[in-house]
Amino acid sequence: MKKARNILFLLCALLLLAFGSTLISEKKESFELVSKSKSFIAGKSIEFEFYCKSEKEKPQLFIIHSYGKTLLDPTFEKGNYIFKLPENYSKKTGDVSWFLINSNETKNSGTFEILANDSTKTVIENYLGPRTILAGGKEFTMMVTVPTDSLDNPKKENTEVLLKHQFLQNVTNLNIKTKNFIAWYDIFSPIKSGKMLISSECDKIETKEIETEIYPNLATNFTINYSRNHEFADGNQITHFSTSIIKDSFGNTVSDGTLVTFIIKTKNNLILKTFGTTINGIASAQNLHPDHQEIFKVKAFVIGMAESNILTINYKPILSTFNYSFSKNNRTITVGPIKSFMNQLVPDGIKVVLKIFNQNTLIATLQEDTSKGLATFLLQKDFYTAKNYRFEITTLGITKKTETKNYELNK
Amino acid sequence: MSLINNKNTIRIVLICSFILLNVLLLFGLSNILEYLNSGADRSSMLHLEKESVNTYLPKVIWENSENVGRKMEPNTLKIIERDYLFSWYIKNKSLQNNKKVGIEDFYTKNARVNLYQSIDYNLKNKISIESTTIKHHPKLEFYSEDGQQVVFTDKNVVEYQKVFKDKKLITEVQDTATYKVLMLLEDGFWRVRHIQKMKPETFAKDSLKADPEFKVVGKKIKYKNTDFIIKGINYYPKNSAWDTFGESFNKDTIAKDFDIIKNANLNSIRIFIQYDDFGKADIKPEKLQKLKTLLDIAEAKNLKVMITLFDFYSDYTLESWTLTSRHAEKIVSEFRNHKAIIGWDIKNEPNLDFENRDKKNVLNWLQQMITVIKESDPNHLITIGWSNAYEATNLEDKVDFVSYHFYNAIDDFEKENSILEKATKKPVVIQEFGVPSYRGLWSWTGKNEKGQAEYHKKMQELFKKNNLAFMSWTLYDFPSVPNQVAGKWPWQKLRQKKFGFIDDKGKEKPAFLYISY
Repeated sequence: MKKARNILFLLCALLLLAFGSTLISEKKESFELVSKSKSFIAGKSIEFEFYCKSEKEKPQLFIIHSYGKTLLDPTFEKGNYIFKLPENYSKKTGDVSWFLINSNETKNSGTFEILANDSTKTVIENYLGPRTILAGGKEFTMMVTVPTDSLDNPKKENTEVLLKHQFLQNVTNLNIKTKNFIAWYDIFSPIKSGKMLISSECDKIETKEIETEIYPNLATNFTINYSRNHEFADGNQITHFSTSIIKDSFGNTVSDGTLVTFIIKTKNNLILKTFGTTINGIASAQNLHPDHQEIFKVKAFVIGMAESNILTINYKPILSTFNYSFSKNNRTITVGPIKSFMNQLVPDGIKVVLKIFNQNTLIATLQEDTSKGLATFLLQKDFYTAKNYRFEITTLGITKKTETKNYELNK
Repeated sequence: MSLINNKNTIRIVLICSFILLNVLLLFGLSNILEYLNSGADRSSMLHLEKESVNTYLPKVIWENSENVGRKMEPNTLKIIERDYLFSWYIKNKSLQNNKKVGIEDFYTKNARVNLYQSIDYNLKNKISIESTTIKHHPKLEFYSEDGQQVVFTDKNVVEYQKVFKDKKLITEVQDTATYKVLMLLEDGFWRVRHIQKMKPETFAKDSLKADPEFKVVGKKIKYKNTDFIIKGINYYPKNSAWDTFGESFNKDTIAKDFDIIKNANLNSIRIFIQYDDFGKADIKPEKLQKLKTLLDIAEAKNLKVMITLFDFYSDYTLESWTLTSRHAEKIVSEFRNHKAIIGWDIKNEPNLDFENRDKKNVLNWLQQMITVIKESDPNHLITIGWSNAYEATNLEDKVDFVSYHFYNAIDDFEKENSILEKATKKPVVIQEFGVPSYRGLWSWTGKNEKGQAEYHKKMQELFKKNNLAFMSWTLYDFPSVPNQVAGKWPWQKLRQKKFGFIDDKGKEKPAFLYISY
């Protein structure tokens, strides 16, 4: 009986123990944050301590950081669970959310902050743009400075940045402050063209210079002139056009390579074009003399920006008349010798046009170039089979009509 | 022996092997040619093929405000948003797989180092984190004059993550934080240069003002403040079973069917929207138009509609959350003010996926969809159509009313229903029940049409006794049923075709008498 009682007692004790232990494991353990500090400096080791009555828990800390998320296991020291933030997280700034997890439940959560480490060497990134602007003070280039600590963390808001820019004799220093990671400033263009150098300084660390090119502004109106060897319309010589020095409204010579278009209007309202690009503000272009009496009206444009005065150029005819002769049964027509303004033979290659009429209808238009002052037309028997023909000969702007010539018929 | 020595046999073998050899040769050649052609596609040399459509679509609402610096072009803002969301997507992906693929496209050289270190640490410690962001509220702070730098504050980003260690789920965490981001335009990509987590801001929620006609008061659904007992039916047009909004959508058919339903003393219907059919995250406008047509007809006929979303869909992973959220949001907000809708049924029988897709996954997803739908449409009720009464208490505190389907023996009905009624404080709707009139080769014990009528008669008596809300399955017998519904085998399909009150020739079956009480 006693034995049975003992067994019963032992059984009860065993049950109690079993039950008791389940009781403990089901009890909700609370974890208290021991660490009081809520902000840390980047690059320093960061530890987070929690206290829990039970020392046999296996809590884990889940953290969300700007550059990743991870789960930490604690070490147990002096009654506290200690979580050490891995270095790659503790060196980067920002808020960190933490969640203390124990047996799949979030027991505690909160945030702490990691601040930029001002004791490390400052690193500055500069971004400048646009890198080319126009002179005159309307356009600007924007300097964006991103100062960071040596761990590549943006400096805290309102960090002072010294911005320096130089143009010719002027050196300007400006104090600006960071906001949203960056400090920025718009630097407006001076009225002179040239190069502007910009650099910045933060925490006694200077950057290299960056430059922005200040280009001359839009061209303003200019004048043009011309020169030529003689005033005769010989179809051979060249007339040179040139502009005055083209400048913008601030007196800057326009950039080399500015395209100038010369537009030439003939007396028949035909339009000829010639082009030139500027060097040191001057553009020059050329045009062949006409081969007949002509009046050119010339105007130049920097298209969409500026225009010039109008030049009127007269070309005199080089002859008033010329000779022609028929030979070989009127089958050969020889024009010339054509003589120029000093009775010299015209240059080779002067155009001579022969129009052939039969009964007042135009049959053919032939064209030959002069050689040694002469142009020769051959009328083939097999081709020109009519009884008679009349001709009109045109060269250097002069037209001559011949009488009607009779031809022998083919045998 | 004679078979082996037979000349014809040898001929056949020779010819066959010759043909086979040729086929193999051609196949091999075509494979080689195909291989040589691959990679020659010029578009793949550029980064043209990268489209953010349907990969990651959290809700992004830009705050309307003037930024300093250059005025932002709307098109550039779109590109920035795309690349920024990609940076999140890539980060989430790499923290999940602990791989570094794609990071260099969306983080600058200096920034990506930090991510690489995080990935290395997690890889070493066998930690994997699945995450998604649900909402972003970016505010543009700065845009540089040369259009190469941009700073914005992404306010109150809602992040949801699942933490795994040694492939075991440790916890699920939702967190809200603000991020300040500096991005640079480098070789055509906007890349994150600095990103810094900050404390979330408190700002007023611009929630929609609710003006509901349906309300839940205690255990009753009220319509314009009077009791509304759902007496309904699950509805597909006869010839487009499980494809209400397909090619054969016809408003006359629907109008005629609605007349039948209305005249049968029913007051509501339940319809289904398939996720793929409606265009996934990019809702097809023509589908919305068809849905609107159906709802307008229902309104005209004074029928109320319960709309079941996400039919034929079972991807509950965090990766697809943003896509399903956009899907639900677009449909629901479109019909926010429609008078015909009782409420949104998030998903049909999601508990069937508990086993294969993990119960917690499914429940979390459902909860997320409830939040999204409530935000976009505060006017209509929300429920989930559980496949049995026992699972119907899941998320009971999140839904407006509890729905379940009853296909068990009729004798168990009162017991099962009363257990559920006791377990919940919300109204209960028997959202599906019914029996096929199919007795034949595959089902010797099935009911005939008379038996089906008998069943409905009994059920209606029980409903009437307790004033229960019901929706029977279904109006029509269907000439054809897609494989996805019950299976491809005839013994699965034939049963499914015969649940109707009206047969596939349009004749009322005996059960039609007991369609309502």
